[in-house]
Amino acid sequence: MKTNISDRIKNVMSAVFGISNEEISDESSPDTIESWDSLKHMNLVVSLEEEFNVEFTDDNIIELINMKLIMAVLLEKLPSNRS
Amino acid sequence: MMELKYPEILKLNRELRNNLKSSSYSITVLSNIIVQQIKEILEYLLRDGAINANIEFGDYDNIVQDSQKYKDANAVIIFWELCNILDGLQYKVELINNDQLDEILEKTKSEIDLVLKNLEKTSLVLINKFTSIPFSYSNIRKNHLDELANQLNHYMEEKIPSNVRLVDIEKAIASVGISSSLDLRYYYSSKALYRVDFFKAYAEYVKPFIISANGKAKKALIFDCDNTLWKGILGEDGFENIEMSSRTKDGTIFAEIQAMALALNKQGILIGLCSKNNPGDVDEVIKSHPDMQLSDNHITINKSNWSDKVTNLKEIAQELNIGLDSLVFVDDSSFEVNLIKGRLPEITVLQVPEKLYMYPKMLREKMGLFYNLSFTAEDRKKIEMYKHQVKREIVKKEFIDIEDYLASLELKITIFKDDESIIPRMSQLSQKTNQFNLTTKRYTEGDIQNFINHPDSDVYALSVSDKFGDSGVTGLCIITSNGSNKIVEIDTLLISCRVIGRNVEYVFINYIIEKIKEKKIIDLKAKYIKTQKNEHANYFFDRCLFNLIDGDDLVRNYTLSVNTYNPEKLDYIKVINED
Repeated sequence: MKTNISDRIKNVMSAVFGISNEEISDESSPDTIESWDSLKHMNLVVSLEEEFNVEFTDDNIIELINMKLIMAVLLEKLPSNRS
Repeated sequence: MMELKYPEILKLNRELRNNLKSSSYSITVLSNIIVQQIKEILEYLLRDGAINANIEFGDYDNIVQDSQKYKDANAVIIFWELCNILDGLQYKVELINNDQLDEILEKTKSEIDLVLKNLEKTSLVLINKFTSIPFSYSNIRKNHLDELANQLNHYMEEKIPSNVRLVDIEKAIASVGISSSLDLRYYYSSKALYRVDFFKAYAEYVKPFIISANGKAKKALIFDCDNTLWKGILGEDGFENIEMSSRTKDGTIFAEIQAMALALNKQGILIGLCSKNNPGDVDEVIKSHPDMQLSDNHITINKSNWSDKVTNLKEIAQELNIGLDSLVFVDDSSFEVNLIKGRLPEITVLQVPEKLYMYPKMLREKMGLFYNLSFTAEDRKKIEMYKHQVKREIVKKEFIDIEDYLASLELKITIFKDDESIIPRMSQLSQKTNQFNLTTKRYTEGDIQNFINHPDSDVYALSVSDKFGDSGVTGLCIITSNGSNKIVEIDTLLISCRVIGRNVEYVFINYIIEKIKEKKIIDLKAKYIKTQKNEHANYFFDRCLFNLIDGDDLVRNYTLSVNTYNPEKLDYIKVINED
């Protein structure tokens, strides 16, 4: 389940930041991805929400600043019976 | 597009950006809130329609100054969010007194004036109407915010010039609903108010303006007959049993469809039939079925026969002298729909929904395809014109020598110079004419007005009549000069496809060159810019014996020593009412 989610996150990040999936790792963050500015961050949040059909709170939004944290917040949000 | 997720749109838009070869159409968005997400959504939607849009943004909350800076964009879109014309206006507004309210009103009005002034020469300006809906939809009483929105909208409606269109943003909000439109989370943290769903609806809503400005509005709506214009199959159920009246549950759906087709026809959209039926049977329904609203007067072309629909639709485009991509075709059969989509992908094909009650809604939502920035008297006349065109095609077959045929038409042309009363029509011609168009420059009404006002440029228009009817204004030529009194240039030369093939273009250019000669001009420069559709106009200047200077497959430059020009006289075309 985790790998599947990880791939989907990578697909979203790749679409938002215009980079390939291979360039994205667990450590990817605004420090390693050049185009990750505040406007792109908004796009990222909205894209993740649409992809996973969830809604982040304003507190969540400021936490979503690297791949690992995105995964952690999403796992919290997603019902456990989802694949 | 509503079904695409935002990351998918990002991805598809990136692919289109890399693949589209057509020249770029620049759009600048000015706003006093953050609306950055409109970029990829609207770009994608337009690129998907072959318009290579590139969207950039002015600075946050800097509409007035940026309207000066970005006035040269092809189009400017303005998001002027009422609740942010003053920080926190949505809650402050109820506590302020009338004087303060007036002050806000007057300040915003004068800003509107400045923006309109700065953008007066921009081809297309879309300004969202002010709306109080995001914060007042639940109010029972009309509040100050509603009042402000009303007054500002009223003010804009009174004074918008011809290059500006107001966008009814509330319709986009309504189509997805308030809660799917607004993102209050981001409003309070980042001054971004709208959600992706709203931007999708908004992009769909403004697309027709931009399509029309690019000369890509649809021109004809072609219907299959059985279960498309009426309920039932004429050949099987018979004349008596097909339904299209409000007296029956299913008939009423088709009565609505026919009424919508009639309304489009009134706006100049051509209506045609393409149906597998015995031609005589369909004619009988058109002539004498009491419930049939579309009559011979509305149906410009009727291909009811047993040929395949690919052939018929091709012939329809040919006989109406319009591109396949100007056609919208409606059919109920999946077989026909898929056949046309596969074989003639240029045609927009609509299928009657399985749930019949969704049919009028489906067609209503496609009305934007036919939207025209300028709607003129010629549109109404056009219906007549195309009917004459079909008649002419028939007469043409009886003549062997084309010159004899042309002479028999008793052609007359009228030339207008700098005539302000036909600006909407001239602008429309520049936006819609694709085939005989030497440079394919698209101009708004404001642009044409500028050419007329400018002392160094002349705007000529042409109307053609013959014994079958009057075409109305169907040709345009704009002559410009860079200030030299010896050299002028043909900026635009176009003839509507309705009058192509009658040699009026030669008489038109002869007339204009004669006028240029009278002004003691020595050289006339001209240009042919190739597009996918203007092969028809290729070599026109060669045929007029202009000298080719340089150029390649895409652009060729010509010049003509005006004094040596000695055209062939075309005596069978009379030039009347010169001015």
